[in-house]
Amino acid sequence: MALIEAVDIRKRYRSGEVEAQALNGVSLSVQAGAFTALAGPSGSGKTTLLNIIGTLDRPESGTLTVAGRDVLSLSAAERAAFRLSHIGFVFQAYNLIRVLTARENVAYVQQLQGVSAAERNAVADRLLAEVGLDGMGDRRPDQLSGGQQQRIAVARALATSPDIVLADEPTANLDSHTGESLMQLMQQLNETRGTTFLISSHDPLVLAHARQVVHLRDGLVQEDASA
Amino acid sequence: MFDLSIYLKLGWRNLWLHPLRTGLTVAALALGIAALTFLSAMNDGWLQQIRTNFALTMTGHLQIHASGFQQTLKLARHIKDPAQVMQALDGLAGIHSVTSRLRVSGLASVAGANAGALVYGVEADKERHLSRLAGFVTQGRWLLDSDDRAVVLGDGLADRLQVALGDKVVLMAALDNGDIASEVFRVRGLLHSGVLDIDDLAAVVPLGRAQQWLDMGQGVTDIVVRADDFEQVTGLVDQLRQRLHAGDGSQSAAADSSGYEVMSWSEIDPMAEQWSAFADAYTWIVLAVVILVVLAEVLNTMLMSMHERSREFGLMGALGVRDSQMFFMVIWETVILVSVGSVLGFMTGGWAVWHFGKVGIDLSQFAVAFSFMYMSPVIHPLLAFDSLLGILGAAILGAVVAGLFPAWKAARLDPAAAMREV
Repeated sequence: MALIEAVDIRKRYRSGEVEAQALNGVSLSVQAGAFTALAGPSGSGKTTLLNIIGTLDRPESGTLTVAGRDVLSLSAAERAAFRLSHIGFVFQAYNLIRVLTARENVAYVQQLQGVSAAERNAVADRLLAEVGLDGMGDRRPDQLSGGQQQRIAVARALATSPDIVLADEPTANLDSHTGESLMQLMQQLNETRGTTFLISSHDPLVLAHARQVVHLRDGLVQEDASA
Repeated sequence: MFDLSIYLKLGWRNLWLHPLRTGLTVAALALGIAALTFLSAMNDGWLQQIRTNFALTMTGHLQIHASGFQQTLKLARHIKDPAQVMQALDGLAGIHSVTSRLRVSGLASVAGANAGALVYGVEADKERHLSRLAGFVTQGRWLLDSDDRAVVLGDGLADRLQVALGDKVVLMAALDNGDIASEVFRVRGLLHSGVLDIDDLAAVVPLGRAQQWLDMGQGVTDIVVRADDFEQVTGLVDQLRQRLHAGDGSQSAAADSSGYEVMSWSEIDPMAEQWSAFADAYTWIVLAVVILVVLAEVLNTMLMSMHERSREFGLMGALGVRDSQMFFMVIWETVILVSVGSVLGFMTGGWAVWHFGKVGIDLSQFAVAFSFMYMSPVIHPLLAFDSLLGILGAAILGAVVAGLFPAWKAARLDPAAAMREV
């Protein structure tokens, strides 16, 4: 069974009198352990689809199963708990909590789960080492480069050992060298940990690393290319 | 179980992201709390003075009379057997001292002048231990147990009669049967209490001579009790009412079969208690206004902080922070902000209370007005534990109230929309 099974997902946005169809009947299947890219130009619906899969948004219609759960039937509190346990997020703008150190940022999600301080700090340190930031646990985000901050975001996304990591334009704010390095890191984590990655991007660098590329245009899947 | 320490950590660090803004808010809070602390202590200080002065100047903490005496002040309603009452007082804990008095309205007269007087027959030595009357003597001396026809006059009464130490004064009063009796006394002392009712009216004479003059036998009108402190009064009054099967002075003598009334200082003259209630109400109004103003500042700070950090709140929501956790996180942050201001405010206000509690605040220019209220012209602020709790409670409650709206907004944020905001 697929880890993500989306069928005929439709989503409209309304801004005053203007209505825009963001997703126009998208169906998508992502297997566990996949390293998949959602490709497409701006406005094609990549972020909307990612938000819906990540239970941050709800479609008007369609069905969606993530990790065996019908996530569209969950209440707000259940969705929050589901995200905490099953989904890791990496955002374009890093989105770290600026008053927390690198270690605290990574450990934050585990603290929400009630994991003891000793255990979550050990996990955070191990993950920071895994993403190449060994010894930088006490630094605040503003003391780190963009690439380093995004690596912390990746470490945070993995802290709860989620079923899937959703990454929205993770390389958009990085130079190509740093972007390449980040993609190599995510690919490596996918291979060593078996964590599923679904990455939205129109960056060729990302698409080059993906084993499956789903092309979106105008809210529709145009092409599903598996490497 | 969810670890709350992250809220404290986030709250504390977020506050200091904008040190100037937080500093100004904390300073406003601290100033408000300090002002409230000091105002409350002033209030507590002068209320304590009023109560103490009222009780110790003359009234005592409680008095026992024959039923109906306090309402009528008629000699006919006197305690015929004081020994029986004294027996009831035996073995009661919390009593500092006891004395008997004979109190009657009369006329003081000298050649060419006379004036209304309130005559007190007192047990000279016991009175010295119970009230401050002896300490108020400014000329001459207080009564001695061996005195017979000596009188100590309030200095205002002496002025009106134009008498000095050693002069003779005739005191007249109506007897139980309606006859007028008079007695000659020699002025041995003049007193000044600062209380007009005493200074302008009091003529204090030995109890024995007063009983003889007024044909009272062993009878007295008041048995006055000074308790160890105000905390003892209610218990003592209750016990004495039980032991004497006495009333509280509110019922008529006919309705009171026991023959006695036991009255606390506040029942004898409700003025001090009413002042206390009035001052409390006034303080709470001021407290509410100050807290409101300060909390408007806190609310503004929190809303600005919320607005700036909506991305961060959106992120937290995306990571799995529940609405309720978001709500309490913002409440916590407000409580931390108010707590910092409150601690500084209490320290500043506490220092002012401590300092002025030692040196006092001299308001002598208002001494005449104060004398009506048994207030001393120098006020020593005194912060009562209840008042401290009241201010602290109001500050924390206010913090929670001020945090409710930002917290509600944070809890309702749509994570995806919030993260799109720049």
